[in-house]
Amino acid sequence: MTRDRPLGGATGIFYHPSFSRRSYLTAGRRLADFPDALAPLIESPHVKLFECAPVTDELILLAHDPHMIPEVEADPF
Amino acid sequence: MEGMDRVAAGELRNVFCFIGAGGHHAGRNFFGGYCCFNDVVIAIRQARRAGRLGRVAILDTDAHHGDGTRDLVVDDPDVLHVCICNVDYISADGTKVDAAAPEPWALDASPDRAYLDLVRKTFPGRARFFHPDLMVWYFGFDTHQGDYGDRVLTSEALLGLADMALDTAHEACRGRLLVVLGGGSRADLATALIPPIIARLAGVSA
Repeated sequence: MTRDRPLGGATGIFYHPSFSRRSYLTAGRRLADFPDALAPLIESPHVKLFECAPVTDELILLAHDPHMIPEVEADPF
Repeated sequence: MEGMDRVAAGELRNVFCFIGAGGHHAGRNFFGGYCCFNDVVIAIRQARRAGRLGRVAILDTDAHHGDGTRDLVVDDPDVLHVCICNVDYISADGTKVDAAAPEPWALDASPDRAYLDLVRKTFPGRARFFHPDLMVWYFGFDTHQGDYGDRVLTSEALLGLADMALDTAHEACRGRLLVVLGGGSRADLATALIPPIIARLAGVSA
């Protein structure tokens, strides 16, 4: 998507396709209509769509104890 | 992470962040309630590490208490954390605040009006006084009628919260606002609510 407006005035949307496959709840397909539901918005020069990057362990450890990482990975939900 | 970085750096005016799992029930050494890692606090700490951020005001209107976020910011006087949940509490320094949402069946007024009045009484004034560099609205739509945290709210109330968040961010921190998706399970509500909220952020038609 090209933008002719400085980012400083724009609204960002941070999204990843995986969020629409399985989101928040185990049975959760609450975002199944996305990103299609955003189509009219991202035509606007005032809106920019970004794909979320994976978070690193280093960043997780800014807030959490190290044991949280394997425990979350092992969580069935 | 990138959303907060870009708003803090002034590269974006505001952002809407979708999520794959929740964050506000994840504390330093615990997680639950379908939350894994505390996205908001990690992003704050990353932006601070980069020297882009100091004070942050968080408004949490998910149906349930943001216990993980509170655990992580409880000793941080540079985070105002206001949670609309089911208890009333104000910390000694006034930066950690819980407000019990009205019980819908005990109301004479409409649940929408009562909820919005409570948030208006609890958050904007504190945020303006706090002078944050940036504001976070943790937006759960589980409070909507028929969802799992049902507060008998309608979409009008949730869009009213969006307007209030935008106005408060404008007054308190030059419009620097992150909206982070929280709880809520219904696809029809997500589809009905999220695009108009983003439209409000961008100042365009939905």
